[in-house]
Amino acid sequence: MGRQFVKIGSAVLATAMLVTGCSSTSGGSTEGSTETASANPTGEKITLRILENDTAKSQGYLDELLNAFNKAYADQGIEAVDANMEEYSDLAENGPYGYGPDVLYQANDQIMTYAEDKHIMALNLEDYECYDKVPQEAFDAFKITVDGTDYYCGIPVNVQEPMLFYRADMMPENWETEWDQDGNGVADFFESWNALYAYSKYLRENDESANKDSQYGLMAPLNDLYMMAEFTFSYGGYVFGLDEEGNYDSSDIGFNKGDSATGLLAMKEFASLMSEECIDDSVKTSRYSKVADGTFFCSISTPDTYTLFHEKLVAVYEEEGLSADEAEQKATENLMMVELPSKMPANGDITADPATLSDSDYVDTQVMGGVNGYAISAYTKHKEACVAFINFATSYDMISMRADILGIAPTRSDVASEIGGVTDTIFNSLEAGNIYLMPSIKAVDQIWDPMQTLFADVAKDAFRAKNGEAEKYTDVDSMQKALDNSVQSIYDAIYTLAQ
Amino acid sequence: MEKRNNMPLWCSCIIMGTGQLMYKQWIKGLLYLAVFVLFIYFLITTGITDIIGFFTLGTVEGDAWLGIEGDDSIMMMLKGILAFIIIALFALIHYSNIKDVQSISKKLSEGKEIPSFFKAVSIFTDKKFYVVALALPVVGVLIFNVLPIIFMTLIAFTNYGGDIVPPKLVDWIGFDNFKKIFVLSDLKATFVRILGWNIVWAFVSTFINYFGGLLLALLLNKECVKGKTFWRAFPILAYAVPGFITLLGFKFMFSYGGPINYYITRTGANAIGFLDIDAGWKARIIGILVNAWISVPTSMLLATGMLSNMNAELYEAASIDGATKWVQFIKLTLPFVVFSTTPTLITSFVGNFNNFGVFYFLRGGLYLDGYFLASDTDLLINWLYNLSIDNNYYGIGAAISLVIFIITSVFSLGTYVNSSAFKKEDTYR
Repeated sequence: MGRQFVKIGSAVLATAMLVTGCSSTSGGSTEGSTETASANPTGEKITLRILENDTAKSQGYLDELLNAFNKAYADQGIEAVDANMEEYSDLAENGPYGYGPDVLYQANDQIMTYAEDKHIMALNLEDYECYDKVPQEAFDAFKITVDGTDYYCGIPVNVQEPMLFYRADMMPENWETEWDQDGNGVADFFESWNALYAYSKYLRENDESANKDSQYGLMAPLNDLYMMAEFTFSYGGYVFGLDEEGNYDSSDIGFNKGDSATGLLAMKEFASLMSEECIDDSVKTSRYSKVADGTFFCSISTPDTYTLFHEKLVAVYEEEGLSADEAEQKATENLMMVELPSKMPANGDITADPATLSDSDYVDTQVMGGVNGYAISAYTKHKEACVAFINFATSYDMISMRADILGIAPTRSDVASEIGGVTDTIFNSLEAGNIYLMPSIKAVDQIWDPMQTLFADVAKDAFRAKNGEAEKYTDVDSMQKALDNSVQSIYDAIYTLAQ
Repeated sequence: MEKRNNMPLWCSCIIMGTGQLMYKQWIKGLLYLAVFVLFIYFLITTGITDIIGFFTLGTVEGDAWLGIEGDDSIMMMLKGILAFIIIALFALIHYSNIKDVQSISKKLSEGKEIPSFFKAVSIFTDKKFYVVALALPVVGVLIFNVLPIIFMTLIAFTNYGGDIVPPKLVDWIGFDNFKKIFVLSDLKATFVRILGWNIVWAFVSTFINYFGGLLLALLLNKECVKGKTFWRAFPILAYAVPGFITLLGFKFMFSYGGPINYYITRTGANAIGFLDIDAGWKARIIGILVNAWISVPTSMLLATGMLSNMNAELYEAASIDGATKWVQFIKLTLPFVVFSTTPTLITSFVGNFNNFGVFYFLRGGLYLDGYFLASDTDLLINWLYNLSIDNNYYGIGAAISLVIFIITSVFSLGTYVNSSAFKKEDTYR
């Protein structure tokens, strides 16, 4: 059904192009089909400016991509170069004056911010070889409805969601007998938040260091909305609601909806098993080295940071006396990246003994996620070449290489199933709807600061009593009031001054 | 006396340079005429359009998908301002053209010789060299200073921001942005709270920085201090490190995972949330101290320079008269240093009033209940950033910056005009 809409949308778009007289040489509209057209119809030398993310640059993937593309398209006179711009450079400001990139790779919310003002092109999805291999949910992250018609403005590359990173060699020796009650071969603390809480508590209670700061269970940046949104989304919270036509309605802000207050109280409870580093950005910088040295049993981050955890773990093994190759191999074997536990306590009581809970006592974990993809600037003068570049960059080979070098979870089903493991799991979670994709509207820019301020304060609340201060969030009512205030701040940021 | 012929004057009033041509001032006349022709050409080709565009700020909304380029309101405003500046320059040249014809006419009627073009230029450059020397800098200031200031001022009277960003068309909305600041209850309350803290911050941090630097300079000026160069190097090192790196360093040091909390917890005490959202005065005081770390070296260097110019005989005489060290400081050192550094003190106050970096780097991105998109440590300039950059409300941001400008300029001018440095300029000469 979804693909049918895409086809209809594409047809409408193509018709609109004809009606409005848009051609491949006009200033805007969508690009034409590349099946018959050359990527360089004029034959003049074309230089495409490609804006990639910083990790792709630092890990050498962008060089690999550009070299491969330039070699393949040398005979057509097309050269792709690094746009040499800051990752979050503003296409809206630079594009109209000819300074922006031709092709940009960014998260769906960022790309769709541009789409609202038509700074990027609507695409004819059937022009892309990967079209049939990417789930509709991923394409929907790049959908925008204009005058009742759906347009797609990005080609999905990979899914991002918070993941749990841990060292396999730090697993308790008795996990199969003590921490796998259902005997399914997966430790309980990777399946339910209650079990993860219980194991974290066990580690804290058995920390025998003088300052009791050498052994933590889960340690996560609780002030980070992207990483911790599962504590609202799993309990009925959401970012923006939908209007009657199924489009995001930014006046319906949903962080305070459902039982979100209950979820945040559970997060506060978990915070009490962490150190106060979880309140500010400290964990974000220390998690790589502290997972590697075993101080944190596990931490939460995104798949594209896999290489950072890996580098630190290699360094730890080298310090222990292994050679570079041995350390590399051992780190690859032991560094594990899994999805967050899929079960959260329905009543928010994260302290409840998992042995006393049945499946009906849980709700599914729903995490915040995003889809990164390629888009074409509406101001490019080389639309056909841009389409060719995206087709090349989203081909099986390049996406496989991207996954290999950057550890991303691709949206291409063939690559995902080929790689298997976690990548396939993430892919399936996307299809199953367990990843709440960031809404693709401009207003999403306004959610971060108010919510992150609240999340940090909730985390702080776990330590207030210990520090002799009065707790702020002692029950659902006080938590609900704080959520309402944060939602009001978001509303203010979006609407109050716009009136 | 010969009766004056007014015809060249009238002609020059209508068409620049014609009066000079009628008096056979060929080069001057042709130059004025060329300027006139260029101006008319400018008006016809772009000037009139730019001026109309300035008032309409565009009528066609762009749509890149449909290939409609559309009007760029912001560029139209800029071009309009530039057109007005060109018109003002033309008016100035036109005025000089009329004065010139009047001058020629007067000289002729008085039977005086009219100098040739080159001689006139030579006389002008000699008698009014300052005009020649300053003309280019003035043009530079007009383009690089005045134009952006006018632009920013005008933005305050538009609805630019929020959803209204190019390709959407911007409109003039008069004083609506100012009304929002002073009428919308959320904004008004936040503005008043932040302004109050901003004033306290500016006074306290200026005081600490200034006297901290002075005391450090006095200390290092003491004869008993050995290795002065060595000791002076440390504050200069703090000064030499880029400010934002220092601020990020302090943010790390005061964080929960930073060294300060590390040592606090090692003593068995609880970690301190120096920079938590509800840190309140704890965070404010840290901001003041961090700012002192960055700014005291500047004051110290300034005061060291001042102190080296002090007349040692004054202190000798004061000692003979029985003045204590404290009295010498109050009666001699302080008046001299304050007199010499009043303009710097004002600059320092304005700089602190608009000190963006300290709380942006230490506590950026925190919103406190009761504040509209701000926290209790934000200064007006930080709030301005939150509104205009983080939240895209450029119009409101420009209105707030105008209010900041009025406050700081009233204070600066008031203080300076009433200072000894202005009133008794010759005291120490």
